Amino acid sequence: MNDWLSASFALFIFPGFGFLFVCALAFQWIDRRVAARLQGRIGPPWFQPLADFIKLMAKEDILPTGAHEWACAALPMVSLATVLTAALYIPVGGQAASAFEGDLIVVLFLLSIPALACFLAGWLSVGVYSVVGGNRSLLQYFSYEVPFLMALSGPAILSGSWSISRIAAQQAGATWMVFVQPLGFLLAIVGLIGKLKRSPFDIPKAKSEIVAGPLTEFSGRKLALWHLTLHIQTVVGLFLLVDVFLGGCSIGLAVPGVLVFTVKAVLILLALSVASVLYARLRIDQLANLGWRVLAPLALAQMLTTMWIGVR
Amino acid sequence: MTRITIPIGPQHPALKEPLSFLLTVEGERIVDSALRIGYVHRGIERICQNRNYVQNVHVVERICGICSHIHTTTYCQGVEALLGLQVPLRALYLRTLLGELERIHSHMLWLGVLAENIGFTTIFMYAWRDRETVLDIMEEFSGGRVAHAVNVIGGVRIDVDEAQVDSILARLDELEQQIEILLGVIQHERTFQARTRGVGHLSVEQVRRYCVVGPTARASGVNVDMRRDAPYAAYDWLDFRVITAEEGDVWARTMVRVLETIESLHMCRQLLAELPEGPLAVRAPRRVPPGEVVSRGEAPRGELVYYIRSDGSDSPARVKIRTPTLTTLITLPDQLRGVNTADVPAVLAGVDLCIACADR
Repeated sequence: MNDWLSASFALFIFPGFGFLFVCALAFQWIDRRVAARLQGRIGPPWFQPLADFIKLMAKEDILPTGAHEWACAALPMVSLATVLTAALYIPVGGQAASAFEGDLIVVLFLLSIPALACFLAGWLSVGVYSVVGGNRSLLQYFSYEVPFLMALSGPAILSGSWSISRIAAQQAGATWMVFVQPLGFLLAIVGLIGKLKRSPFDIPKAKSEIVAGPLTEFSGRKLALWHLTLHIQTVVGLFLLVDVFLGGCSIGLAVPGVLVFTVKAVLILLALSVASVLYARLRIDQLANLGWRVLAPLALAQMLTTMWIGVR
Repeated sequence: MTRITIPIGPQHPALKEPLSFLLTVEGERIVDSALRIGYVHRGIERICQNRNYVQNVHVVERICGICSHIHTTTYCQGVEALLGLQVPLRALYLRTLLGELERIHSHMLWLGVLAENIGFTTIFMYAWRDRETVLDIMEEFSGGRVAHAVNVIGGVRIDVDEAQVDSILARLDELEQQIEILLGVIQHERTFQARTRGVGHLSVEQVRRYCVVGPTARASGVNVDMRRDAPYAAYDWLDFRVITAEEGDVWARTMVRVLETIESLHMCRQLLAELPEGPLAVRAPRRVPPGEVVSRGEAPRGELVYYIRSDGSDSPARVKIRTPTLTTLITLPDQLRGVNTADVPAVLAGVDLCIACADR
């Protein structure tokens, strides 16, 4: 009975869905606020993300004639489910809801499903902007995913483990991976920006070009779920980087691990916010060039060096 | 490769005014485009025939929400020429001053729109924030942010005093610093250049063939500027440079417009420093003797032409307005052929369309 209770608590409250939902809203607010301040604006009040979510949930849900209704309803739910599942294997403040050897691979796989779901959503919701946006999200996926995977494999090779919990635990008291592999950390951040379709890689949903990309035809609850997926994906991605590169919750001070962990995640988030206001949006061919001519070779060099050191 | 048709407009986030494009696209490359205009046609030329000359000043002011002042200036100039009026020097200076302030405001607005269209929100926010300085100056001067109602036939309606001149000069200095910062960002930010260089190219031949005017023509290396070529108002007494560039792409248009903004600031300073004393307006008779006149002015987007024909009554027999945007609109299918769909917003913003002006 007690096991069942603690498992439910871990799944639904902490470090599960409840905590993720709160973090998703809070991180979104911090991001919007920081970006606004950098742009000479004020930014939204703290409850704006929640208000937006509630408003969208309450709005009328319409799809254009000819759209695949069943798939369009299922895709946002599937995406949300995959990112929530991925979150189970990511230790928050030292404890993950679940862990096994090789969960890093599973998490990376799960985190890439929303991109594919976006592509399908673009095709199945029949709008012309959706189709273009869907194609772009797939092209973008091919550009950032490989460097992202290679960047994250470095710490795994060094730790000799493909379990996120173990990679994080090994860094406790030892040197953080970010100092061993600064290049890998940088590449992982760039990859994460691409994964989250954040500016300057917001190519699949470029507003001034293709309105909202794959999500153009979505509204109401479905759109709310898409947005929630993206924001939880942001949180999960940040947590993943903190665990793999910033030593999880370890800092050696007498403060709660969760707090330390969240602060580290927010620090990476700030880097993402700053990056989002610094650059103009790239074109998809420019991103592919960047991904394959710059990021992928760098990531490969990093990985091979790591393997060489690891073997020695 | 399969071709799909992408509609841009009449309502689209990249467009601030209604205009319709049907793009035929292969993959991400545009092979053909069809342009449709006329969504904001208000029949202004016909309206002008039904109102008298004085009322028409207010009608033509409402053609455009950005360059309203140059419309009234060009119109009043035409009617004054028909009447043979000698406009007081102070009025000419004040007209020019407002015209240059309007150019600064229009170019900064344009920079923001371009930046937003290429996904550079920060420059958009900064440019529009700094543009408020000019709007504030214009509001204090005339009471209106975009529709000033300053021009009357025979002169201007509103004066500035010493205190206002000092306050305007101080704020122009601040504005220049802000524009220098923006210029620095544009020149050094590689992503900005990656999105604007080589996009929407117009050659000198194309510019000549389509009679393109204004900054778009100057960015292709065609050195035309009504302020220098056919000086009106107080431009004859001003010392200024005409900015040109050679590349002919959106990047060149950006540089031309931003440098022109700084040049306009210098002109405003000159105008305020040399502001002559004297009356603001001369009395104009209600009836205009028969005749016809072509009046030209340099709007922020280029040469603006007014043709006015009088039959001797108190309202014009014909008013024909050729706005600069019309000349750039017809180059768009050429500019769009072969570009990436992602560059469409940059091309559209690059030529600085004013659909309300073009449709009238």
